[in-house]
Amino acid sequence: MVLVTRTSSDGKVVTIDISGRFDFSMHQEFRRVYEQAPGSATQYIINLRQTEYMDSSALGMLLLLREHAGGDRAHIEIMHCQPEVKKILTIANFQHLFCLD
Amino acid sequence: MMSASVVPNHPAASSTPFTVLIADDDRINRMVLHAMLKKDGHTVYVAENGQEAVTLFEHHQPDLVLMDVMMPYMDGYEATSRIKAMTGERFVPVIFLTAMTDAQALVHCVECGGDDFLHKPYKHAILKAKIAAMERVRQLYTTLQSQKNALASHHRRLQREYEVAEKLFSTIVHPGCLDAPHLKYLLSPMSIFNGDLLLAARKPSGGLHIMLGDFTGHGLPAAVGAMPVADLFYVMTDKGYAISDIVAEANQKLKAILPTGVFCAAALLDLDATYSHLTIWNGGLPDVFVRQPSGGPLRRLCSQHLPLGVVDNTRLDRSVEVIELMPGERVYAYTDGVIEASAPNGELFSQPRLEVYLTQDCAPEQVFETICDGLTAFRAGGPQRDDLTLIEITCDAGLANQISPEATTSSVAKAPACWHMALALDAMTLRTLDPLPQIMQMLIALQGLHAHRERLYTILAELFANALEHGLLGLDSALKHTPQGFVAYYTAREQSLAALEHGWINIALTHTAMGPAGQLTLRIEDSGPGFDYQRCSLDLAANTTHSGRGIPLVRALCQALTYHGAGNCVAAVYVWSQGETNVLQRAS
Repeated sequence: MVLVTRTSSDGKVVTIDISGRFDFSMHQEFRRVYEQAPGSATQYIINLRQTEYMDSSALGMLLLLREHAGGDRAHIEIMHCQPEVKKILTIANFQHLFCLD
Repeated sequence: MMSASVVPNHPAASSTPFTVLIADDDRINRMVLHAMLKKDGHTVYVAENGQEAVTLFEHHQPDLVLMDVMMPYMDGYEATSRIKAMTGERFVPVIFLTAMTDAQALVHCVECGGDDFLHKPYKHAILKAKIAAMERVRQLYTTLQSQKNALASHHRRLQREYEVAEKLFSTIVHPGCLDAPHLKYLLSPMSIFNGDLLLAARKPSGGLHIMLGDFTGHGLPAAVGAMPVADLFYVMTDKGYAISDIVAEANQKLKAILPTGVFCAAALLDLDATYSHLTIWNGGLPDVFVRQPSGGPLRRLCSQHLPLGVVDNTRLDRSVEVIELMPGERVYAYTDGVIEASAPNGELFSQPRLEVYLTQDCAPEQVFETICDGLTAFRAGGPQRDDLTLIEITCDAGLANQISPEATTSSVAKAPACWHMALALDAMTLRTLDPLPQIMQMLIALQGLHAHRERLYTILAELFANALEHGLLGLDSALKHTPQGFVAYYTAREQSLAALEHGWINIALTHTAMGPAGQLTLRIEDSGPGFDYQRCSLDLAANTTHSGRGIPLVRALCQALTYHGAGNCVAAVYVWSQGETNVLQRAS
């Protein structure tokens, strides 16, 4: 499984682990995951520890999640990025929209 | 005769009557078959030999053929071959009815195009069943054929639409002045439509605007956003807007039209007429590099902003970075397709590898080709995963000024008229608005001075900048003489302007007609303390550095340039005549 979702016991925090290549091929699944997240979710954690690569459509997917989670009110943390992935996020200046660790 | 209930009652077969051709030299056989088929509602044609069968087939195009083998003039094999040759894309089943039983003869029935065979004597029920089965196959074939035709015509239509769209696309997203001698570029789109965008346009004041963009994804969906952006890039550059204005406009447009998750990583570069400084806004593109002629460490301009189309303009950061350029330096901008180009083993070209190419000991004019060759060799013919774009800009004002101005469509000046226009700008207006593009537009509208636009823009821009920066903001142009001074000057300008509370600038344009010639007087007055223009003008005349290019340049372009009052008021007189179309003669 390249995409694993966990929800905290109080239903507020949804954690999505992504492994391998985070690119366009993951579009459907990523979308399904956040659309099926419980309505009680107030915070999302995207764990990229196992993500080797991400492309601009992955950045687009993060923006879609952000919109789904309330736009400017969304609380999304992107964690454990490997240097190459971190670089892609910072080139796009996504630290202005997401919490990057 | 069998009763109808014995016949397999397939709706498609039994409910739709069709046309049958019978070919048999035996009269009795013909009559029996004819009667049976007629009873089922089919239209029947009858041939006495192969020759006649072929002729009847040609005229009536039946749906099914029942064929005897041994017939005079032309046998069933030959007739079947000829009939099958005539059917083209239609499927017309041919069932052989034969008394022959040897395997070789039956195989031959199929070889010459027959679809089935039945031994004489046969039971009518069996023949009806075979006809019904063949009819099912025929209908299936017809359905497939019509779907195939529909697909083919759909494909042809798409192809045509693609061609029209491509034409439209390349007209709107035209490369501008990318063929200028000081620019080199590599464009390698994955498909007809490029999701990367590379535009270059001359500014009315000389110098150059460049935009490099990379839309999410590639192909047509990515390219759609390129059209409005290209359009506004050229229009706004032409009107004299600064890149931060273009950034704001492009962002607003893309935010409105692009779906969430699709955006445009972009860098806009502004090179002044002397190529002595570069203004850049980089939102989401990889580091832009500046290489010295001698190689050595690179200067790096990192992405400072979110890509275009992600947030709305209230959250957009339009601030730009300004750096000083030395003659012969080269600027490199590229999309991530370059650093993510992959070798057959999956290894990426990577930014460090690009930096090695840029820093290695190499003749400056060969760096670009070396990178391109390196990329091709690295990819080793492997598949391209993304659009790929690279541009090199050489800071050589001499080369740059060879760019020929684009022909304007309505370059005919209007007959000189008499008019007067005055603008009073207060501190708040000056903080938020650049009045020059609007003034230029009105000048063009009133007098149609396309051919004079560059000169007029330069005069207006230089005098307005002096009034604002020295008159109101009190900036010291001596700052520009220090190394990296322009950057400090620019920063100070931004800060002082943002804090401007008081003061005003009045701009008045007066146009008078003098026969076929027109005279435009431009008067700019500011609320500042003025300066000792008599002394300063001598200094300025002797000044050859780029920061002092303003006043000598304006003097060279005008009929007369005079200072008034305490030096806080300047008047420039510009004379033009109809039919004169030469462009800005640079005072360098």
